[in-house]
Amino acid sequence: MEPLTPQHPESALLALEQQLGAEWHHLTEARKRSISKRAALKEALADKDDEDTSIVVFGSLARDEFTDGSDLDWTLLIDGHADPKHQDLVRTIREIVKLQSEKEPGREATFGSMAWSHSLVHLIGGEDDTNRNTTQRILMLLESAPIRRREAYDRVCKTILDRYILEDPRFIEGEVKCRVPRFLLNDFARYWRTMAVDFAYKRRVRAQGGAAIRNIKLRMSRKLIYVSGLLVCFACHLELTIEARRKLFDGPDSERRAIDFFQKALQRTPLEIPCETFLRFPHLLKTARRVLDSYNGFLGVLADRDSRKHLEQLLPENEEGDRIYQDLRALSHEFRDGLLDLFFNKDSNLFELTRIYGVF
Amino acid sequence: MRSIGFSTGALAYADFRKALQILSGTGIEALELSALREAELAPLLAALDILDLSQFKYISMHAPSLFSRESEGHIVESLLPIAQRNWPIVVHPDAIFDPNPWRALGAALCVENMDKRKPIGRSAEELTHVFDLLPDASFCFDIGHARQFDSTMTEAYLLLTSFRSRLRQVHVSEVNASSKHDVLSYTSIQAFREVAHLISAEIPLILETPTGPESLRAEMERVQEALPISAAA
Repeated sequence: MEPLTPQHPESALLALEQQLGAEWHHLTEARKRSISKRAALKEALADKDDEDTSIVVFGSLARDEFTDGSDLDWTLLIDGHADPKHQDLVRTIREIVKLQSEKEPGREATFGSMAWSHSLVHLIGGEDDTNRNTTQRILMLLESAPIRRREAYDRVCKTILDRYILEDPRFIEGEVKCRVPRFLLNDFARYWRTMAVDFAYKRRVRAQGGAAIRNIKLRMSRKLIYVSGLLVCFACHLELTIEARRKLFDGPDSERRAIDFFQKALQRTPLEIPCETFLRFPHLLKTARRVLDSYNGFLGVLADRDSRKHLEQLLPENEEGDRIYQDLRALSHEFRDGLLDLFFNKDSNLFELTRIYGVF
Repeated sequence: MRSIGFSTGALAYADFRKALQILSGTGIEALELSALREAELAPLLAALDILDLSQFKYISMHAPSLFSRESEGHIVESLLPIAQRNWPIVVHPDAIFDPNPWRALGAALCVENMDKRKPIGRSAEELTHVFDLLPDASFCFDIGHARQFDSTMTEAYLLLTSFRSRLRQVHVSEVNASSKHDVLSYTSIQAFREVAHLISAEIPLILETPTGPESLRAEMERVQEALPISAAA
């Protein structure tokens, strides 16, 4: 089946909600809250960045899923001179962000500090590609938003993509049936598995604190990041007609066009990306309802201050009999099954793409 | 055969006479007369009729990059005779307050893409808005600026393909991290080669690299290495 080509520049999520007659109140509320929080940060951080630095937020705030009690993860991305004053700037930003946030950035210190373009661009794979570096690089592509000036951010994202695209010659030049960037896809997959392994690591070293909420996030929001990454890697087939794909890849400079295409594809939030896919395949709208209803439910629980606190303090030995946790688990099963329907749907080309690229 | 030449500013800053002296007898056929600072414009314009420019097949002029709103009208007016000579007049889009008077320069007005410090005119998307306001203007592609803005050269590709029909000349230099023009490095040569095929042989290259008289030829050879003439162009 040839994909349709609807464009939803405003929001695919809102278009889908309207089309299905659904009411994803928690999703739309979190979206509004995210927009408003980013606007407040933009104002509070006036003049703190320049053409070589971007203040970038990650996590729920970047995903448009910000709720009461959400973490506010940020980094000062530097793509320019090494300047000792950047450390002062980080301190200043930290103070400003603290006033806007209920929580400190996570304990692994992945955020709340500086990130340098050189390590993000050059250290892909190999021993020097630390967990922190991988996390920042992949989230930069999949789950981030510049708060104010975006020049450094756009440059770095484009340069990271340059590596994935140009160092994947079969993707550009090969006489291939499918145009899927394997290097990029493999790194997304690696990151997804890293998050899953790190869940076990944190459960061990943190004496079980917070395991329940991390588990639910892994099943929902973290999985969504991977889903959006996979769909972007399949985007040449999901979002382009045969003619448009030919235009992208035929002739010289296809790698430049590909970088531009993927950069634009990745500018959407992780939730917008599957919504866009659902809108392209009307026969999957039932599946869309299942996926989005469950995600809406998940966000509703996180938005409820008491439930969130309860989850944060829930010990693993009490999970079995805990109603909130078990309800969320049930939602995560709905979410998972909906995603399986999506990726293994034989009436769209997703089945073939998933079979060839998503398994081995 | 492609014309390669120099900006007088790169050779001798505001001293255009000294720059012309350096170029005299070299056989170099392309020239950009530079009046980057407002105060440099009037002396340059006043001297035009007495300068010996006979060796040059291609001449352009670089308009001031900074001036006040009050002096904008006067500057455009003083550039009208240059447009009548059919010399491209290179302008930084961020310097323009009001596009209306500039339209009088027609296709002689040659808008340059900007480096990363500037608020507008850096990308194809940003320049599209500029050309919407100045529909007859031509395009000066600054490859150093484009690379500084996006080292993957994707933006360079987008600029060259979006404004191919407007392209009048190319500025060539390395633009370093401080946004200063510099001699071409190994990495910039490699980067420029990636889009060289998008620049046709009849488009003149103007070097903005700071160059002494002894290294004119060497610098031109580096530019030829960076931007070889391609059959595809």
